[in-house]
Order: sequence, then C-alpha cells, then structure tokens
Amino acid sequence: MYISMNELKATLRRCFEASGYFVGNYEDAANMILWLEKHGLHGLNELTSAIDFVAADREKPLSKVVYEDSTSATIDAHGRSALNCGAAAVDLAQAKALESGIATITVHNCHNRMFILKALTDCGRRGISAAAYWQNGSNDITEHTAAIRSGQRYPSYSEAVTSLVSSSEDKQALTIICSSRVDLTSSLQSKDQHYISEQQIAENKAHTVEFGIEITEKLWDQINQLGTGILVENTERSRLDAGGK
Amino acid sequence: MITRAAINSSLSGETALPLRSAKQVMDIERLGAFHQSRLSFMRTLVRRIFRERWQIEPVRFDLDPKGYGTVVYEVNAPHGVFSFVLFSSYLCDEERNDRVIATQWDLTMALVEGRVDSHYVEKLAQNVPKQEAGRLDSRVFVLSRANRSGRNFDYVVDQLAAGLQPDVDKIVQVGYLYRTTAVYGSGKLGMADWEKVRAKHQDFARPFAGEMFVCWMLRNFSLLQVEHIAKHKEPATFNPMRTDLKHYFGIGNSTGLGMAPYLVNHPQLINQWITMRELALARVRTFGCINSTVQQRLIGLIERCSQHTVQTITGDQRQADHNQRVIEDLAALKTQIIDNLVSFDQLIGWSEQYCSVHGQEILVSVLLELHPELVDELEDFHLIEENLDLDPLMPLQQLKSIIEQRYAWAIAIDFNAEGARETYWYRSEEKMEPRLGSIANAQGKKKHMDLAVGFAVHRCYQLLRDYIRQYPDHTTARFMVDQPKLRGTVRRIQTMNHCVYGDIQANLLDRNVLPMHLLRCKLAFFGVSKFDPRSRLWVRNTMFQGAPLLDEIGQPFSDDWFMPLAPTRLSTQ
Repeated sequence: MYISMNELKATLRRCFEASGYFVGNYEDAANMILWLEKHGLHGLNELTSAIDFVAADREKPLSKVVYEDSTSATIDAHGRSALNCGAAAVDLAQAKALESGIATITVHNCHNRMFILKALTDCGRRGISAAAYWQNGSNDITEHTAAIRSGQRYPSYSEAVTSLVSSSEDKQALTIICSSRVDLTSSLQSKDQHYISEQQIAENKAHTVEFGIEITEKLWDQINQLGTGILVENTERSRLDAGGK
Repeated sequence: MITRAAINSSLSGETALPLRSAKQVMDIERLGAFHQSRLSFMRTLVRRIFRERWQIEPVRFDLDPKGYGTVVYEVNAPHGVFSFVLFSSYLCDEERNDRVIATQWDLTMALVEGRVDSHYVEKLAQNVPKQEAGRLDSRVFVLSRANRSGRNFDYVVDQLAAGLQPDVDKIVQVGYLYRTTAVYGSGKLGMADWEKVRAKHQDFARPFAGEMFVCWMLRNFSLLQVEHIAKHKEPATFNPMRTDLKHYFGIGNSTGLGMAPYLVNHPQLINQWITMRELALARVRTFGCINSTVQQRLIGLIERCSQHTVQTITGDQRQADHNQRVIEDLAALKTQIIDNLVSFDQLIGWSEQYCSVHGQEILVSVLLELHPELVDELEDFHLIEENLDLDPLMPLQQLKSIIEQRYAWAIAIDFNAEGARETYWYRSEEKMEPRLGSIANAQGKKKHMDLAVGFAVHRCYQLLRDYIRQYPDHTTARFMVDQPKLRGTVRRIQTMNHCVYGDIQANLLDRNVLPMHLLRCKLAFFGVSKFDPRSRLWVRNTMFQGAPLLDEIGQPFSDDWFMPLAPTRLSTQ
C-alpha cells in the first residue's frame, strides 16, 4: 500500500511516543526513518529490524559521556538505538567542531546506526561538514560510511562487505567526524562497495514526493498498533471532553 | 513588489517599523479576538482566482432531480489543470452529525491534480464518500465533506420552487445551505503531501489555499444545487435566486478542538502569519495617509462592522456580550474618527485605552482594509519552511537569558497554584479526536499530549539553572546529552528566539483555559465570520459569506466583501 510522508511521520511519532521516547526524541526518530525512506535508503527495512526492540530502550540507562576533551568525546549509549541518542551525538560533534575546527565523537553500544544519516544531513544544512563510519554484523561484517559537505542538501553513502575481523567493541560503535574548516568526503576502500551518490539520493526524493511511500500492510499495522498506546479509551464521559452534548 | 529583505528590515534594526510587542499580541485572549482581514486566506484566494481569471466549468453534471449524483468541475488555473469532484448522496436526518466521529454525509468532495476520466472518478467514488475510512492517492490533495443545513436547505428549495425568494431574516439566522465538518489536506489518507503541493502546484502553494478553494466551490455548488432541485420540483413556478441573496449565503463550518494542537505544533508558521498581519498594521500606521476620502471610507467600514456584528446571531452569552461591547466600541470609534482623527497611530493608541480587546482587533482589520497597497503584497509571505533547529554551540548562559527574556510569561506562572495544572489534552481512540480532560482522570493524564509549552519551558528553566551551577561553561549540545528529556523544549526555545512573535503566551493546563481562543485565532486567519461558540470546545461559523460567485469571474471585481451585510429585506419577494 501507499501512504504519504506525513502519514508515516505522524504514525511514527505516535509509535515512538507510546514507546516512551521523550519530547524531541520521538520527532527525531520519526524524522530519521522518514528521511531514509524518502531518499531511497530503505528506512522502513531498517525500522523492521529495529521495531521489536524499540520499547526496550525505555528500560536502559541514558547515554553518558565517558570521556571528553576539546576535540573529541566518547559516549556510551548503553545499547540504545540511534533513533533516540544519535542526533545528540552529532550535535555534540558539531558543537566541538565549531569550537575547535574538527571533532570526533565515538558512540559505543549503539544500534540502528544507519539512522544517523538524517542528523548528518542537518549538519550539512547548517554549514558543517560531517562523516560517519560503522560496521555491522557478526559473521559477515559489512562496513558503512556516509558524508556530507558543508552547505549541501544530500549526503553520499557507501556500504561493502569487509574481510576485517570485528571485535565485540567495534560491532556497535559509531564514529562521527565533524568539521567547520574541512570538507569531508568518505568512500570505502573495497572495490565491491555499493555507493549511492548525492544525485541519486536527490532523485529518489523527487520520486517519493510525487508518489508517496510504499509500505507493507503488516508494518503499517504494526506501527499503528504501537501508536495506540497514546490513545485514551473512548467513553461517554470522554465524548464530553470534545464538546459533545 | 516587496521583497523578503525589505520585510526583514521592517521587522528589526534601525529601519524597523513600530510593531506591537509579542507580549501584547501573543496574549491568548487577544489572539481569540482576531477578526478576518484582507490577509485572511479566503480573501487572498478569491483575489487570486478573480485577478487571474481562473476558468472553472462543470465537465460532468450527473444530478438526479433530487440533487443526488456526481459533479466534476474542471479548474484551469495559470499553472495547472485541476478537478473538483463532488458526490451528493441521500442522508436521513437521523444520520446527520457534524462531529468528526460521523460516518456519513450529504456531500463529499475531493480536489485532484489534472483531468479525471470516468475510471478515476469511479475510483474516487469508492473512497471519497467514506472519508477517513477510505484511501486516496497522491493525485488528490484536498478531501472534505458537508451536511445540509436542517433549517435552510429544504426551506430555500421550497421558496425557489414556489417562485419566491428566501427570507433575509432566515439567512441572517443561518447564513448557509451546507456546513462543512472537516477539510483534510497535507497527506491525510494517502493524499499528496504539502511538500508536493507547494513545489508542484503553484496555484495552491499558499497555506490552506486548496482547502479554502474546496469550501468556496462547495458554496458555489450549494447555490447551484438548490436551484437544480427547485427547478425539477416545480418547473412551472420556479424562479432562480437573486444574486444579492446568493452573495449572502456562505458555507457553515463547525470547528472543534482539533484545530488547537495545530497552533501549538506549528509555532513558526503561526508566528509568520501573525508577523505579516502585524507588519501590515505597522505599515498602515506609519505610511497610511489620511484625507477626507480615507476618513469617509473609514467611517463607512466602522458602520459596516457594527451592522455586521448586529447581524451576528449567537446563543453563547459570553460571545453575545463581546459582540455588544464591540458595537459600543465601534460607536465610540466612529465619534473619535469624526471628531479627532489625527493619525492612525493615535487612533490605535486611543482604542487601546478605551476599547475592548475585541474592539481593538476589529479596528486592526478595518485599518488593513483602508490601504490595500500597503497590505496585499504581504500575502505572498505567509509560507515558511518549518524546522525546529537545535543550536548546539549556544552557551547555556545565553540559553538561560533567552528564556528569561522571551519566556518571562512562562517563568512567572505559578504551576503549583490551585487549578494551574488541572487540564490536560489527550487523543481519544475514537478517530484520534483531540479532547480536553480533567486531572481527575488519572489514567487519561498519563497519555496527555505535549502541548503545554509554558509548563515545559518553566521546568526546563529550573533544570537549566541547576545544571549551570555545576557546569557553567557547557554548550547546549553537552547539556542535551545529559538531559535528553529537554531536547524538544530547548530546540523550540532556540528556534522561536529567531521569531518576532514566538509562542502563544498562555498556560494551556489551567483549569479555566479557553481553547476557543485558539480556534478563533486560526479561523480568523482563514477568514471566517459569525462566530457562534456552542461550548468552550467548539464553534460554528460562516465561510465565504459575501464572497463573489463562480460565474462572476471575469466581471469587475472590487475585492470588498469584508464584513458582509444582509441584503435589504424589501427586495426579497
């Protein structure tokens, strides 16, 4: 089925609000998923992988800065999804870059790192160049990178299977580099990388704006169902609360 | 033609014009006293249609003698072709319900890009009449429905069928044949997103232009339909309705709480609308010339407003009291204008001293009518790219001082006072309808909507002060990592600091909060009139009363349908 971007965003906001995300975070989460899907980067596939774990973040400790100096910081996300801690990490990288020219933030124990692309794009829009790198998987390791130049609207993105042996620490780590002085670009060294250019991302967006978003009924029902957690039971008394006689 | 740069230089800096303060304008009671104006979206839409001479013709007119069936209008506007598709169905009186929870309506409508063939109309016929229970595609960008007026529709048909005209007194009581109960756009139910409409359909790339167009078309259709039914009922005696009476029929509208969250959730857009209105006032105040012609026009408009208010019928005592006070204010203003009109600035100052807030705001709308050359060009600047953006580098001391300056009203609220946190807003599982509950419902309160900006800022300020004591040199970004719960609030504070007017200044949790003020503010920007509150939670009103008719496109157009008056009674037989 096809839905509009606005429907997806509104439904995701309800879904994350009902899952215990804070004000500001549930908007971020909805925007991160929508941004990927809108630009042809399979945000709904990522969501499908993440959705069963979304509510569990409520029980986890908040992200914590475990090391910090003027040009870098290390954040422990305590196993949280980038949907609810990724934007703050990128913001910290941006602030440090504006102060020091270039900054690196490493986030440990962070899931769903693909969603960081929306936050990187915001950096570019604000005039800060940004790049990110992460690895995924246990047996077949894939590596991913995205980058946006200062003042640009769209990032580039690459992914490839790597022969690197990943340590347990690397698996859920995310490295973010921001600079107010240097235009960062990134590409993987693998010859078999899957590279998506800024131009392709822009074209994907134009298609989505024209036709909307295709979603499986199963996933649509699932996020709608999660969102019902914020709705209040309908009663005769409740109807009076809307001005009913 | 004014530019964005010229607008910006009028809003701040050395060349800034004398704008009213945010404290004055964003007070919720004043927002609830706004009236329609030249910049209201109905006015700007009609100006555009008439000055660009849009061609709007029915290309399919399949109505049976009782007015049921399908009608398709083709709309040729300068930048594209569109179709307005309408389904008229039988609805028994018992099923007629204005609430959002209704499931059947007399009329359902859709505005579609391009021309529609019979196959596509059939697809719409399967979905448009179902409204929220149907699904649409991205060719459709507005969906609406309407119910017949129980007091007027059959009466008007009978009068016309008998060769008579409807009685003006009855139209004064109820100024419409149909009431629309919902107008959806912006991607609801699978429709085109606003992003598409804005980028692709320049003819409707203004806030709510598509939605207003559908209501205006509904009004035109309603007049056509009553004549169609009356003509088939009694062909021998039928007489068409007089044009002056047609002008006086608008479209009824019922608006409930759903509109209130919109105002809170789109602060940059609302700020933009208010900024344009206030800038228009400041331009008239500064540049508007006064001579005997202007003075006479001003007196004429004041008299018209007074008569319009006399002809505004409401069963709500509070609204009736306001209307009475407005009539008194207008009489006093008229005397002041005749005896002592020195400048508009002086007149506004006088009104602030001697008139009610409602009287002051009706004067604002009147002053905008006087100088279209200073006002109308601002209509192209009601749009804004909405983006609540965090400024991660902002030092926390600066954030604190912004709150102290811009949100002093929120800091000053005593949220521990009795009743200060007694109301909460929630969404019902019934069509997700927004509702207003009491704190007594503990279960419901857990699921409250985050609309209480004042309370959120108040709490943020307390936490920020504590944090600064420990980490005075931290940036906002660092604060956000430690306090993710405040992310939405801080982002809003920083963003709205760039706006002239900013947030609505009210405690929306207060026991005595009147959502009606929020509804009325937005409706005034739409351009409605004849406010008739039915409770503190919903209001009936009239759209497009006095507006020119579809078949008048291409004729001389005066753009003077502000505060319309009833036609004289003698001429109706």
